[in-house]
Formats: sequence, C-alpha cells, structure tokens
Amino acid sequence: MIASHEIETRLREAAEGFLREKKVDIFLGYEKASFPFRTSPLFLSAAEKARRLVWNPFCTANLAVYLPRLFKAPADARAAKVAPPPPTVGVVVKGCDTRSVIALIQERQVPRDKLVLVGVACPGMMDARKAERALGSREALGAGEDAQGNLRAVVEDGTEVTLRREDVLADACLECRSPTPSIHDVLLGSPVEAKETDAARRRTAEFESKPADVRWARLQQALAKCIRCNACRQACPMCYCKDCLLDQTRPRWVGAGTDISDVTLYHLVRAFHMAGRCTECGACARACPMGIDARLLVRKLNLEVEDLFGYRPGAAVDAAPLLSAFTMDDPQEFLTEP
Amino acid sequence: MSQTVAVQESASPGAWEPKVVAFLCNWCSYAGADLAGVSRIQYPPNVRIIRVPCSGRINPAFLLRALQNGADAVLVSGCHPGDCHYISGNLVARRKFALLRDLLQYAGIEPERVQFTWVSASEGGRFAAIVEKVVEQVRKLGPNRKLVKSP
Amino acid sequence: MIDKRIPHTDLDRLLDRLGKRGAVYAPAKDEAGEAVLAAWPQSGPAVLEYRNFRLSPKALVLPQNQTLMCFKNGDVAEPALSDRETFLFGVRPCDARAMLALDKVFLGGDQHDPYYARRRAKMAVIALACARPTSSCFCTSVGGGPGDAAGADVLALTLDADLLLGAATAKGRELLASVADLLTDAPPAAVKEAEEQIQAAENQMAPVNVDNIALRLRDAYDSPLWETASQKCLGCGTCSYLCPTCHCFDITDDVRGGTVRRVRTWDCCAYPLFTLHASGHNPRPTAKERWRQRMMHKFRYAAENFDQLFCVGCGRCIRNCPVSMDLRTVLKEVGA
Repeated sequence: MIASHEIETRLREAAEGFLREKKVDIFLGYEKASFPFRTSPLFLSAAEKARRLVWNPFCTANLAVYLPRLFKAPADARAAKVAPPPPTVGVVVKGCDTRSVIALIQERQVPRDKLVLVGVACPGMMDARKAERALGSREALGAGEDAQGNLRAVVEDGTEVTLRREDVLADACLECRSPTPSIHDVLLGSPVEAKETDAARRRTAEFESKPADVRWARLQQALAKCIRCNACRQACPMCYCKDCLLDQTRPRWVGAGTDISDVTLYHLVRAFHMAGRCTECGACARACPMGIDARLLVRKLNLEVEDLFGYRPGAAVDAAPLLSAFTMDDPQEFLTEP
Repeated sequence: MSQTVAVQESASPGAWEPKVVAFLCNWCSYAGADLAGVSRIQYPPNVRIIRVPCSGRINPAFLLRALQNGADAVLVSGCHPGDCHYISGNLVARRKFALLRDLLQYAGIEPERVQFTWVSASEGGRFAAIVEKVVEQVRKLGPNRKLVKSP
Repeated sequence: MIDKRIPHTDLDRLLDRLGKRGAVYAPAKDEAGEAVLAAWPQSGPAVLEYRNFRLSPKALVLPQNQTLMCFKNGDVAEPALSDRETFLFGVRPCDARAMLALDKVFLGGDQHDPYYARRRAKMAVIALACARPTSSCFCTSVGGGPGDAAGADVLALTLDADLLLGAATAKGRELLASVADLLTDAPPAAVKEAEEQIQAAENQMAPVNVDNIALRLRDAYDSPLWETASQKCLGCGTCSYLCPTCHCFDITDDVRGGTVRRVRTWDCCAYPLFTLHASGHNPRPTAKERWRQRMMHKFRYAAENFDQLFCVGCGRCIRNCPVSMDLRTVLKEVGA
C-alpha cells in the first residue's frame, strides 16, 4: 500500500490549503506518536504546521469524537450573546468515521455546513495491541508497511519482524462494511469495496448458537476484566451526553465499582444506548485498557436494527434517528399473547 | 365470565414463588388490570404492578434494575398501537422493546423473563390470562440468578 | 544488598513455601499472552520473561471496589478484613516505589486509613529488577531506578539461570530467613554482574528533565500550553486507573434491598464530573483545567506536600492512552 504515502502528501496539501485560505479554522488529523504502532490526533490551526500530518495504517482514532465539543452550544441566552461563532472544522475521516459524522449531523450535534470532510478510502487499520502481542516481550522501535500491506517492525536487537496484515488488522476493520466515506468534500484514495460483509453476522451467529446459560457465562467472563474506567464511553463519538445516565446518582441507575452485576448493567445499558447509533468504528474496543471486546453486545444490536427496521446508522444525513421515529407497521412478533 | 384459576399452594412456607414486576401504562393496561380485579377475575398474586403514565416512559434501565434487584421476570404492558393516550408513546416504545428483548436474549437472559404486551382498559380477562401465562413460564424457569446483585 | 541466590527452577518452591503463610501473587500469562500479577499457585511455573503488567499492583492495597461498611436494620457491620499475610513477587521497582507514594497519602501526616493500613501492614513486596526497560520507561528521571529497592522488602534480579535476592527491610530479612534452606550465598562475581546489569538498564533510558519541575509548573499555571496539550484528551480515565500512584476515590452508598453498602471506588480527575459541586458549579469545566491539574498534582503538589513526585516513570499512561498522549512532551514544554 504505497498509496499510504501518496495519500499523506495529498492530505498535507489539502490541509495546508484549507488553513491558508481560511476555509477552515481548525483541521483535525493525525500525527506521529511517541511510539510505533500508534498515531495521535492533531489539532492544526497553522497552515505551516500541516507537515505534521501523517497517514498510515495506525490512524485508528475516530476523530468525530472531538466534534461535539467543538460545536457546543452556549449554556444560555446571555452566554449566546458573547459566544464566538462556531468554527469551521476540517477533519480527516475514514469510512466508519464518516458514518459517525453523519450520525452526529442526524442528531443535530454538528452542522454539516461547518464541516470540511477530507475523506480517505480506508483499506483497514492495524491494531497496536495485536501487533505488540505478536512481538511478545520484544519491543518495536519502528514500524512501517511493506509493499504487500504487511507490517514490518524493527525490534530492539535490530532484527526485522514481519507481521501478516490479516493478523494485525483491527477487529472492527475485519468486519467493516463501509470502508469508503459516503459523504466528503475531498476524497483521497480510490474507493474501496467492503470485503467480508458477513463477518459480523457470522460472529453473532456463532455466539447465538450456544445455549442461553453458556452465552451468559461467556458474557460474564468477557466483562470480568472491566475496571469501570469509562474509556469505551469516552472514546465513542456518539456518547456526548453532558450527564450520562451511567454517572447519575439521583437515582443511581448503575452502582459504581466492579461488582459483576453493575459491570454487566453498564455494558448492557451503554450497548442499548447505541441502538441505531453505533457506526462500528471500534473506538470503544481500542480504548479499553483491559482488551475487552467492547463491541460484543452492540455487534448484535446493529444487525437487529438492520433486520427489523432496515436502518443503518450514519447512512443518510437526513434520515430520522431510529428510536425517534416509528411506523404503524413496526414489527411486533416479540409480544406475548395469552 | 368468571374464571377460576388454581393458585398454586406453596408446598411449604418459604418455598420460592416467582416475583414478576409489571410496568403498566396508566390509561390502558393499569385500567385493564383494575378491571380484572373489579370483575373478580382471579390471577396469580405473583405480580407487583408499577404504574407509569405511558409505555413510552419505560426506560430500559427500569427493567434491568428490576432484574438486578431480584425480580424473576418483568412484564411491560401498554395501549394497543393506535390507541395510545399520548398518541404515539407506545409506537416509539415498540421499537425500543423489540431491540431490548433481542439484546437481552442475545446476552443469555431467558426471553420469558422479559415480556411485552398490549392490554387495553377493557381487557381485564386478557390481562389475567397473560399474567397467568407469564407466571407459569417463570415458575418453570426457576429463580432469576443472572444480573442479581448480591447484598 | 544482594547477597542470596536461588536457581530459577526452585522459585516455585519458594512461592509455595510463602503460600503456606498467606496469599501469594506472582507473574503469569493470561489467555491473551500478556503478563499479569495473578494469584499463586498457577497452572504453570512463575513467569520471569515480561516487561511490566498492564495493571499496577495498587489494586491489592487500594481495591477498585472496596466495601467499607454495611448498614442493615440500624446495625453497622464492617466486612471481616483478612488477617492473612500477602506476598507480592515480581513487582517492578517503579511499582514498589509507588507504594511509598500511596503510603504518604493514606498513612502519612494526620491520615490513617485503616482499610489501606490493614492491607499494607500485611503485605511483603519482592521486587524484580528490570534488565530491559521499554522506551516508555523513565524511572531514573523521577528518583527511581531499575534496581531500586525503595518500597520493596526484598529485591530480586534474574541472572542467567539464577535469581539473586537481597533484603531491603527487616520484613525482607525475616522473609529470606524463613526460606534460608532454599537459598545459597551469591558469589561476589554474580553480585558484580547484577550491578552491571542494573547500570546497563539505567543507561538505556532516555532522560526526562524534571529539574525544579514544581517551580516550573507553578510559573506555568496560566500558560497557553495547557490548551493545546489537553485538546486530544478524551477524559477516559485509563491513565489514572493504570497509574500505580493515582489514588483518588469516590465513596458511594449502594442500596440493595434492606442493606446499604458504603463502597469506595476508584475515581479519576480527568472525568468531567470529578469536581462538580452540588451547586452545579464546576471549577474544572474543560479538559484543559483537568489535564493541568493532573500534571500539577503529580509533579508539583505532591512535591510540595510529600517531598516525592507522584510519578514513578512506569510509562503505563503513555503506552495505554487511546490517543497516545505523552506527559513527557508536556514536561518538556513546561518552562521551556
């Protein structure tokens, strides 16, 4: 994927142009991190610093998570009088990120006309943790992509280790069905076709094939590591509520702490709040310090939303959010009859 | 029509009886339950009713908290679609309920423990029949252990 | 200080022996192949090939979830606190040093947290020196070192097929005496090699300048650097939860039927609600104030109040931050 380098050059040019011509006030992208296998989000406001932008298989963060805070409405009418006008924000978005942006527009959290979307057709991003695990206790000092798209890492003793692409691609990317941004102001890279469009369905079918008690046991086991740090929630672009239900104390919906009952409730409630809103970007799973598959429940919910209502979150800017709408013929096979 | 329902006598005091928490909308289902009572239609006493203004008021967290606090099952009932006192509360809720049931089932919570229905204000008999069905299903399943928080 | 020796192969016997006296925690690999500090005995031998655990050992003195007391029917009951001794083997020197920081908060001055004190008094720490620091390690810059024994009762070090040991406290001396039949004296050549190994590890770490950091931070309070430094922070809490010295907690009453449990849980200053007042005012309303406070607490207030930096250079926050924030970059910018 030598195209990465090409995209990086064009990305820098685009950002520099937008900033210089004052078409955007801020440009959100990625820059080099202190470590291999990672990048860090970059908030650019000076055109000459556009060279700091990078594009590589570790541009994993979903930058849409920063948008609600950039467009926060003033607290009241008095504040509104002195508040500055909302900025115009340029942002690099992959396929999944674009869906998050669309979902935020659907929910009126960000205005489309204040966004400049630099879409990149995404071939899949690599997971830092998978790469590090594959190296065991050896530390990588540098890493890059080879011509076949595999990961080439240089470890401490100077040797090169090649990790196969399919072994280090992020789980969310292995199940991706929307690699190409559906809306954009600029599109970098040629459109990519989604490959394993059934991957999520196969995974949920495998889980569903087990009896209920086994499913529950597996869920409890997967969640047992949870330390209630809330990283999954904070990394999610759709979790922008000022007062999250899961933090409320009057009443206390979910106890604080790691009692497995509270942990399960946390994840069930958060998953349900994602119904019709989750765009499968995997930011939650990536943020989790304990390596929990944070998409375990929501993966199924997204498929249910599609099957029951024919709805995909972040597909159309003017679509009504799923749970704010209804039809007279919504399915109701779930009802109990005497 | 009077119905005699055999209320299961406990084998011994302290034997487990299912506890079903029912969230009933004020205008239809709660009135329907009231009608069952006024008409002397017997139904199992295992149900604890919580009145809400509309099925659209139901926050999924209510159901989960009920289960966490030891309910063996939850039953949610509202007006029939088209008859909601607030016009569309039950229609908005219908989508939520469908997804909630599927999510909990996927997680491994038995579907019989989370049930939904529509009962109108005139359907006292229907209410009683549904409660009977739910209680029997839950009795066969046994006490709810999943999600319960130990004291 | 290092003066005893035991072959690797006998380590399990030593841990078993300690296991007869109390609970033992030793390094193991979890299902994902990552090193964790797990209860001993385990299904395999103790693991010695690892850098550091993802979670710090602070959960053993300051659990994520700790019931302080229960109320029921007007009676107050305290959960029975275990009187068992606890032995931690394989804790890295940075994490051992972090225990001293926690001691200053929970046991120092006019504080005496009985829940913390009980666990801490019963705990013995056998630290394992580092031979291979990672690129995120900077313990030497903040007063520690890969062979530092501060906070440990016994310092251990792997050398070829052996484990070298040395007592650092009276508790450590007693511990080693109790397993004296498993140990032999370490030959001077081995001790010298151990010292060289530690020196080599020290040399590997890139220094981070923390000279006068408390003063520099004080003068930089209103600097615009905090705005840019904090922009990408998600407020996710990963840094605090994984940090071996972070100790902020919340106490809530958990009502369950007729019983109320008063529970202490971890909290994080990066959370938006951390400083929310009952009035609705929040003195740290944005990520900027919260990120600044994090740095201030660790590198200025701790130095001013406790004479110790509340950062041991373990690098967990840097490695695990979902957006790869690096506090070393901020330290460099302060007062630059």
